[in-house]
Formats: sequence, structure tokens, C-alpha cells
Amino acid sequence: MLVEFELIQSAQRGDAAAFNRIVSAYRRRILGTISRLIGRPEDVEDVAQEVFIRLYYSLEQLRTPEVFEPWLYRLTVNASYDYLRKSRRRQESRMSDLSEQQVMMADAAAGSRAQIEDHERRRVRDTVADLLASVSEEDRILLTLKEVEGLSLKELEQIYHVNENALKVRLFRARQRVLKNMKGVTGNTAQSAQTDEVK
Amino acid sequence: MSDRFMSPYESQESQNQTDRERQLDELFRAYALACPDPEPSVNFMPKLWAGIEAREASRNVFGRMAKALVTAALAASAILALLVSMSSNSDQPYSGTFVQALTANHVSQLEPFHVDRISEMENQ
Repeated sequence: MLVEFELIQSAQRGDAAAFNRIVSAYRRRILGTISRLIGRPEDVEDVAQEVFIRLYYSLEQLRTPEVFEPWLYRLTVNASYDYLRKSRRRQESRMSDLSEQQVMMADAAAGSRAQIEDHERRRVRDTVADLLASVSEEDRILLTLKEVEGLSLKELEQIYHVNENALKVRLFRARQRVLKNMKGVTGNTAQSAQTDEVK
Repeated sequence: MSDRFMSPYESQESQNQTDRERQLDELFRAYALACPDPEPSVNFMPKLWAGIEAREASRNVFGRMAKALVTAALAASAILALLVSMSSNSDQPYSGTFVQALTANHVSQLEPFHVDRISEMENQ
């Protein structure tokens, strides 16, 4: 926990300063999670704002402060789902724009160490983004929370409200689907990386 | 027999699967490092409070509308109840049978065909 239980209880009683401190403690982590869930840097802050607004209005419903973090993750996942549903079509077109922009930036790069690292990070991001784009939103969010955010099965249980076995099955199936698509996607990415290098 | 003999092809396929699993784990780890948590903008908190206040204002508007609707519905119910009770007072239902009601309304018309008089006529 990044904050004390007393602070959460103060915020539940309507203390705005306590609420501000909770937001300050968690906002960076929530922004990071959202950026990896939705894959659209320009909209991350808007989704995070929505998460904290929902937190503000539902904080009084939280009976046990011990489950605050899984509950905040749940709000984050729900807000990300809502965002992805609303902007599914818009997202596809903008992701391709973003990719083009990144390619242009990479083309402009002239081989310094930092630029090579940037290029490598971009390649990894593109590969994983392509892999996760090939599965459903549910699989993508679940895998991101488990494999990238590093949440435990126990924490996922509290977020999804399902038992451990059901989660294991869902995770296994989601991983299998990604693995199935992996060969093609990594092959394509390696090819595009080589093309970038030639340019 | 659970541990049957694996053909070289199956063994190769199994090895490939393990390699892909390991590659995926490495990819996820690299992805986590390649996507650091972004810094919030300086306007994050002011924008958040502006959002909360805007939501509060719209909630108040909806609340007021809901209250007005409830009041209007209650008033309409009261008026309807009053109208129904007034109309029921003016049309008192008749407690007798249909024939009795008919007789009461048309006594003068039935008078010439009174049974007693017809029997008197027959006797004559």
C-alpha cells in the first residue's frame, strides 16, 4: 500500500486534502498501467482522470480499506475497457498514425547509443502491441496485468472476482492464443526492423 | 502407458513450444521496461477537480429534475384521486337486481299491464 488506511478513511469522510494525497501517491502507477492497457499515450491522462473521478464518487462504498489497491485496479481496468469499447475504430486508425510517426522519428535518428536503445524499445513495444492486438481485449488486459504489471493471481482474483483455477485457465488460453500468433508477428517485426536499418 | 515414445518431429515441436514460451516471457519483461510510467502533467490535479465539480453540477441538475418530476407526479396522482372520488359520489351504484332497477325506472309504463288487472280481465 502506498498510503495509510487512515488517509483512505479521512478521504471517505470527505477530506479533500486526503483525497489529493491518495491521487498523488497512485497517479503515476495508474497512468503507467493505463498506458500499457490502452496503448494510446495521448489519451492516457483522460482515462486516468476518469478513474480518479470514479474513485472520488465511490470511495464511500469501500467497506474494507485493505482491498483498496485491487479495487483501484478494478476501476482502472473498467475505465480502460470503457475507453477501448468507445474508441475501437478510432484507435485502429490512430495507432497506424502513431506507428508512422514513430517510424519517422526513428528514421531521423542517426545512430547514437541512446537512439539505438530508443529504436530497440520501439521495436519491443511494436512487437508486443501487435501480439496483443491479435487477441481479444479481455485476453489483452488480463495478460498485461499478469505478465507486464506483475500482479499475482491473488490480486487478479480480487480484481476479477473469480477463483484462482478459473483465472489460471483463462490465462493459459490467452497465452496459447498469443503464442499461436507469435511466429507471424515476430517474423514481420524482425523484417520491418531490418528494413528500418537499411533505410 | 502415459510416457509413450516421442518421435523426433514431436520432440522438435515440443522444444519449439518451450522456446516460444521463453521468448514470450522475455518479450513481456522487455515490454515492461520499454514502457515506463509516464509523468502526469502539471494540470493533472486542477483538471481532476474541475472534472469532479462538473460531474457534481450535472448530478445536481439531474437531482433537481428528478425532484421536480416526483413532485409533479404526486400532484397529478392527488388530482386524479380527487376526480375519481367525485365521480363515484355522483353515480351511486344500484344495489338491487336488473329487473328491479328496470321496474323502478318504468313503473308508469308497466302500469297498464299489471298482472292483477289482466287476471280480472280474464275473469270477466
